[in-house]
Amino acid sequence: MLKKLTEFSIEKPKTVIIITVLLTILFGAMATGIKIDTDPENMLSADNYARVFHDEVKERFGLSDFIVLGITASDSVFNVDTLARVEKITNDILEIDGVIAEDVLSPTTTNNVVLEDDTLVVRKIMPSAPKTDQEVQKLRNELAGNPLFEGLMISEDGQALALFIPIESKDLSFRIAGQVEEIALKYLGGERHYVTGLPVAEDTFGYEMFVQMGISAPLAGLLVFLIMLYFFKKISLVVSPMIMSMISIIWTMGLLIGTGNTVHIMSSMIPIFLMPISVVDSVHVLSEFHDNYCRYNNKKDTLLHVMNELFKPMLYTSLTSAAGFASLAFTPIPPVRVFGLFVAFGIAAAWLLTVTFVPAYIVLTVNEESLKKSYSSCDTEKTTRLISILKLLEKVVLNNGGKIIFASFVIALVSIYGITKINVNDNPVNWFKKNHKIRVADRVLNEHLGGTYMPFLVLTGAEEGVIKDPEVMKYIDTLQKELRAVPNIGKTTSLANVVKRINYILHGEDPAYDVVPDTQEEIAQYLFLYLMSGEPDDLDNFVDYDYTSANIWIQSKKGDNQEIERIVSFTEDYMKKNPAPRGLKSGWAGLSYINIIWQKAMVGGMLKSLLGSFVIVFILMAILFRSFIWGLISMIPLTVTILFTYGVVGLIGKDYDMPIAILSSLTLGLSVDFAIHFIERFRLRYAVAGNYQDTVDGIFAEPARAIVRNAVIIAVGFLPLLFASLVPYKTVGMFLATIMLLSCTSTLLLLLPFIKMFKKPLGLK
Amino acid sequence: MKKIFITLIIALSFATAAYAAKDAVQIMDKSNNVYFYSGDDGRAKVTMRLVNKSGKERLRVFTMLRKDTTDGGEQKYYIYFYKPKDVKRTTFLVLKKMGGDDSRWLFIPVINLVKRIAASDKHSSFVGSDFSYEDVSGRATSDDTHEFIKEDKVEGYDVYVIKSTPKEKAAFTYVMNYIDKATYLPVRREYFNNKGAVYKVFEALEIQTVQGYPTITKRKMMDVKKNHYSLVEFSSIEYNVGIKDNIFTERYLKKPPKKYLR
Repeated sequence: MLKKLTEFSIEKPKTVIIITVLLTILFGAMATGIKIDTDPENMLSADNYARVFHDEVKERFGLSDFIVLGITASDSVFNVDTLARVEKITNDILEIDGVIAEDVLSPTTTNNVVLEDDTLVVRKIMPSAPKTDQEVQKLRNELAGNPLFEGLMISEDGQALALFIPIESKDLSFRIAGQVEEIALKYLGGERHYVTGLPVAEDTFGYEMFVQMGISAPLAGLLVFLIMLYFFKKISLVVSPMIMSMISIIWTMGLLIGTGNTVHIMSSMIPIFLMPISVVDSVHVLSEFHDNYCRYNNKKDTLLHVMNELFKPMLYTSLTSAAGFASLAFTPIPPVRVFGLFVAFGIAAAWLLTVTFVPAYIVLTVNEESLKKSYSSCDTEKTTRLISILKLLEKVVLNNGGKIIFASFVIALVSIYGITKINVNDNPVNWFKKNHKIRVADRVLNEHLGGTYMPFLVLTGAEEGVIKDPEVMKYIDTLQKELRAVPNIGKTTSLANVVKRINYILHGEDPAYDVVPDTQEEIAQYLFLYLMSGEPDDLDNFVDYDYTSANIWIQSKKGDNQEIERIVSFTEDYMKKNPAPRGLKSGWAGLSYINIIWQKAMVGGMLKSLLGSFVIVFILMAILFRSFIWGLISMIPLTVTILFTYGVVGLIGKDYDMPIAILSSLTLGLSVDFAIHFIERFRLRYAVAGNYQDTVDGIFAEPARAIVRNAVIIAVGFLPLLFASLVPYKTVGMFLATIMLLSCTSTLLLLLPFIKMFKKPLGLK
Repeated sequence: MKKIFITLIIALSFATAAYAAKDAVQIMDKSNNVYFYSGDDGRAKVTMRLVNKSGKERLRVFTMLRKDTTDGGEQKYYIYFYKPKDVKRTTFLVLKKMGGDDSRWLFIPVINLVKRIAASDKHSSFVGSDFSYEDVSGRATSDDTHEFIKEDKVEGYDVYVIKSTPKEKAAFTYVMNYIDKATYLPVRREYFNNKGAVYKVFEALEIQTVQGYPTITKRKMMDVKKNHYSLVEFSSIEYNVGIKDNIFTERYLKKPPKKYLR
């Protein structure tokens, strides 16, 4: 049956190599039409309700995604020089391709209502840069306490000024942010400048993600290669899993791109996930080959022996890992589904290559004479340290079964407690390291301004003109006041602010009139006055065309999903206790809001998929071992590993974010592998020995060595990821190391005591 | 001989160019007078539909009184709003100056307040529409240089095509005017920005002759970029009404002259 594949590969290596090369060229050619997509919005399917509403709101209120350019000066930005620079910078920004010039918020492009010589003037905040200190002071006074601009464009302390630059499409933001930065550098003197905004974070992430793919993946590959070289000595031998891994990545990515899928943030991580998984099996092959060559002194016979022993466990481990990833197909998040299915395909490809290409490659290229030289001695004392440690461990495990089982229960309980403490949170800005300029910009600007994260609260009535109802306007005004009490909300802006401002200005800037008027006529006529004197689309961001729907801008200083969620639940709570007049209904939009929606889908989806794959893997194990109890036992190490890993995440307070959610499927797939290898070897040994005692004596030899080598290779090999500039990559590196070491430890420590415990039901003597 | 011939040709072509330019200015002058200065004064009921890209509509209904001080020169406008309903009785006064800022006053009935509104920008929107003040009350022909491009046929009208380029920086880089040969009314204008793209298009949709004056009774201004347009219909048009000068004062803003409004 399937084993014939391997025998064929050993007999006809050239044919196998040629077929592999041809297939690789074919898949590689499919990868040429690569399309990149870094938009986290695509985490939601295009017909998702929240996303459809978000798009609709953007259209209704003429909102665009925006980049923020912050300029700070140590004393004040209100001086002739800085303001002149701001004017020049704005002019240049308006010329950038992809910037929606008419919607740029800046002192020279945004209208302000002021009284000059008893004349109502709607004009740019700063029609041209002031030339004297008096003019500067006048501008400062106009803005001081102006609720429409303070906290948005100007900080209360006057130290910071922000330009909001709307862009035609989010995928332009990395390029435009670069141009904005250049312009700022060109004109600014002693001032500092910061560029941020969610689209920048997201698009920059997309860009750096590919840089990381180009650096981290090869670096990890190199390290994996070096460690394998350390263990197995022969370059020609060690090269084979590397090539195999590369080929399976090419096949997978080729198929992904060739079938018209975009390379999303998720799928960009496929190579880095596939690399360790694909290498695992061949490390077993190399490990056994290395340890058994001396018995045959002939690579073909050694290979036949090794492949014969490993064929079944490799098939099982690949099946379970693939099943773990394929279960992601049940999540409600399209990119995650794609990710799961293609990693599963990659695992299948890696398995096929491991049983065909790897032996063929070894037969064809590895020099028999040099193998004899380095591997001929069966003197296992050469690797004394590993072997003696394992021997010691074997003794400890066999003698302390009860204690180990008890300890594992304690660990499981503590871990479960830790899991209940897990903090589900994410923020695309936090995908960058703390000192990344996007993080710095985010921090500085949110210190000075009302907040750069903007969820939009949309209130919609049933009839035209309902928003002009004073009851509605007052409700919005009160809601805004309530919202100011929520931590980290720095500012809110709505049509009510505009109405109040006009009322105040028309009444000689009397603070008693800084209120919402009592009649609809008053409100309507103030707005009419405003529109008569300004531009027809001046109010579009706050109210729709027929006054059915109003948009409240909420500025949050923090963009963590938790913060946004708090704002949403506070508002919904308030609106439940204080129902809006005239049957107004609320809805949410804005990138910050979209992020919490897909995060919810993600967390729930991942949990379900993890539970689902847990069940699938268990069923697979029971079928493969043709025993319910063997299936159960094989699940123990991975259960403890997963519990422990996520328990630690909860206990140390690390946010459960997108990368961590995705890694759960990897954890499952990888940690079951060792158990399969170990149990399969146990059963092989038992078939020979015929009783438990003889079986366990010396069991920590071959498979244990392979397991340890595997764990070390992958844990160490992915250490370079810890130095990546993107946090998700660091997380992957961290997790891989933890998973490998944990599942290796738990496999070696837990299986024997539990097998012993279940000796009777397993039918062992 | 050859030299003389060439000189002659050059001289001739200069002459025609000069003639054409002069011609273009004359056409535009005449057009301006026909379009903005018919009669000594005028009155019309105006219905304005402002339609945004999603097809939603804002309605303005008002009576507009106009009196010319001099043809092609200063004018006064008085506007009384009927709709939107919640701004009814709002009145608006514009004194159009040549070569200087207009004066504009708005009466806000609900607080019985007349407020002067700054009017530094003639390109700004007229009552929230896609028409600017300049589009409503005209622009001095001497502010632009005019170039005769060709004769053409547009929407069934035989037209002169004239390109007008502002002498000083304006909202547009140049305008293509399509002037009806028969009435001298503009039947189409295309406004170009500094990137050479059309951003606003004016169209005369209906022309009627009222008291012997050819009048555009239905017009449309389209903002191409925002996909927003304003549709304006004139009705109850009357010229040479004999509107008194004192109507165009603050006093009448608060106390609308009923007999002219009906």
